[in-house]
Amino acid sequence: MDNFWLVLGGMTCITFSCRYLFLSRIVSFELSARIKRALSFTAPAVLTAMWMPIVFLGHQSSEVGFLNSPFLYAGLLTVLLSLKIKNTLAVVSIGMCTFAILSFIL
Amino acid sequence: MLNQTDVDCNLVTSPVTSDVKTINRAAMDIMPLALATVPWGILCGSLAINIGLTAIQAQLMSLLVFAGAAQLASITIMGAAGAISSIFSSTFVISSRHLLYSAVFREHVRQRSFLVRCCIAFFLTDEMFAVTCAYIQKHKTFSALYAISAGITFYVVWNASTFAGIVAGQYIPNLESLGLEFAIAATFIAIVIPSIKDKSILIAVIVSGLSALVLSIYIPDSALIIATIGGMLAGYFTPIKEQHYG
Repeated sequence: MDNFWLVLGGMTCITFSCRYLFLSRIVSFELSARIKRALSFTAPAVLTAMWMPIVFLGHQSSEVGFLNSPFLYAGLLTVLLSLKIKNTLAVVSIGMCTFAILSFIL
Repeated sequence: MLNQTDVDCNLVTSPVTSDVKTINRAAMDIMPLALATVPWGILCGSLAINIGLTAIQAQLMSLLVFAGAAQLASITIMGAAGAISSIFSSTFVISSRHLLYSAVFREHVRQRSFLVRCCIAFFLTDEMFAVTCAYIQKHKTFSALYAISAGITFYVVWNASTFAGIVAGQYIPNLESLGLEFAIAATFIAIVIPSIKDKSILIAVIVSGLSALVLSIYIPDSALIIATIGGMLAGYFTPIKEQHYG
């Protein structure tokens, strides 16, 4: 990666600025209630935009078909588990074990 | 007002023991959340090695950027030889939720020194925000020491798991074939699904997920950012009956 140091520097600045902006004394404006409401959707939206392609398109990285994809079944099971179990660590562990077993069988 | 509370506390107990207690509490509170991100940290380290970064470069990502979702997204884009502009724009969109967190902390932190504010900003993550808000609710006061201690605990666990991933990535090629990629999906599912508390969040999630699926087939570079913005707008414009958000 030729431009790695540029990428690293840029990303460091962007993430730090987002975290620091409203703690700075120079910035005097407040976020309006509307913008706060819009921002409250960022976390669920961005995380879903990352997990959906893995669960439903993950099979493309290997040779298996969509209906034989361990990503699909383990992913759907994890969704069901997360509705029932509150413990994040338990949900992630059971989901990963299921994935490991399914990739061995399918 | 905060200083007054600090003084009152110090009159009752010795300042050193109460500080140690606060630090311990912060570490204990954030630990379960930190452990849940260990597979994810391992993946960040090993994927960075797989796409050709050196060990030092991979570790510096976690040391300086310190943002899991943004790191993973950027590694994916770098691996696909994507444009720097799409790395920066997705980093910004993913990090924009921290604007909300810093706006919430603003009233508590503004009178503190520059160094304290920089530390709180640097160690600000979803997890640190969550435990610090719980602390504020319980004790009716903000503690910079608590926030920074929780943040540093999380930072250490995150960087240690990245380091483990870097080591594993060098000895086990194609670590992601062991299903670590699925670990991201599982972690995110476990975070997102319980956070769906009303119709507007549900709609944001559905719109963002479906558009990410379709877009990642046609324009993989910018799928994440467009899908996220689409999901945010869809959630924002969903009519709500009662005002949940104050």
